[in-house]
Amino acid sequence: MTVFRHRRRGMVAAELPPYAAGLLASLVRQLVELLSDGEVRATATEDPLEAMLDLGSPRDTPQDPALLRLLPDAHRDDPEASAEFRRFTERGLRESKVADALVVLDTLGLPDGEYGEADLEFELDANQQRAWMRCLTDLRLTLAERLGVAAEDDSFWAGLAEDDERLPIYEIYGWLSYLLESLIDAARV
Amino acid sequence: MTATPDATTVERPDTTEVVQLELPWITLVWDDPVNLMSYVAFVFSDYFKYSKTKASRLMMQVHTEGRAVVSAGSREEMERDVQAMHSYGLWATLQKSDE
Repeated sequence: MTVFRHRRRGMVAAELPPYAAGLLASLVRQLVELLSDGEVRATATEDPLEAMLDLGSPRDTPQDPALLRLLPDAHRDDPEASAEFRRFTERGLRESKVADALVVLDTLGLPDGEYGEADLEFELDANQQRAWMRCLTDLRLTLAERLGVAAEDDSFWAGLAEDDERLPIYEIYGWLSYLLESLIDAARV
Repeated sequence: MTATPDATTVERPDTTEVVQLELPWITLVWDDPVNLMSYVAFVFSDYFKYSKTKASRLMMQVHTEGRAVVSAGSREEMERDVQAMHSYGLWATLQKSDE
């Protein structure tokens, strides 16, 4: 079954079974939580001194490896420059990732458990396609970090025992890869 | 090696030319075990407006050599490119071109 299909004028049509739409919406909501997590109170501080010092701007590298993969250092061997870059850009990067996630949730439409029996059908314009790609990528990066996916380790994952608790997560990871590949195929002319 | 020019696509100058013009900063994209090759090539052509040929070549360079210089320019321009690459989930850094 092909999920995404190319349409005229750069549109992409999508068709998802109800359980798949529900699963994806749930994953995306968890991603939004992760991206909102650990953020220092960002808005409207009461204290004018604190506001002036701008203590709300992130400077520290995220401790959670998944969050660090989503918001990586911008300088390879220069922690000071990385911290400075983070201070000026991290909030914007988090917001753009959350905005992408909200585009996906918006197209999926319904909360968990309310998808009924029928396949969910929707169309994505060029901007929505990009938001979907970035969000699917963020989900894949997050799950891969949680699982410990490494280079050239396909055979390890293929050999997981059926009762291994990582198996269902790895299967979701594979499904997200398939979704992304399908969307890229449908998006490029 | 020659590439067929793609007449419909406006390209940024090639990186080798750029270094000769002494643009002081570069953006590097690093290999990672997660991102799909098709996606990385798509991002390079979509964001930088590189031809499909150039986008694929840079993607293969990331894949086989572990990293590739994807753009060069002022520090501010490279900061913008790095942040854009991060928004796409690619692992990118900036540095001075002579480092």
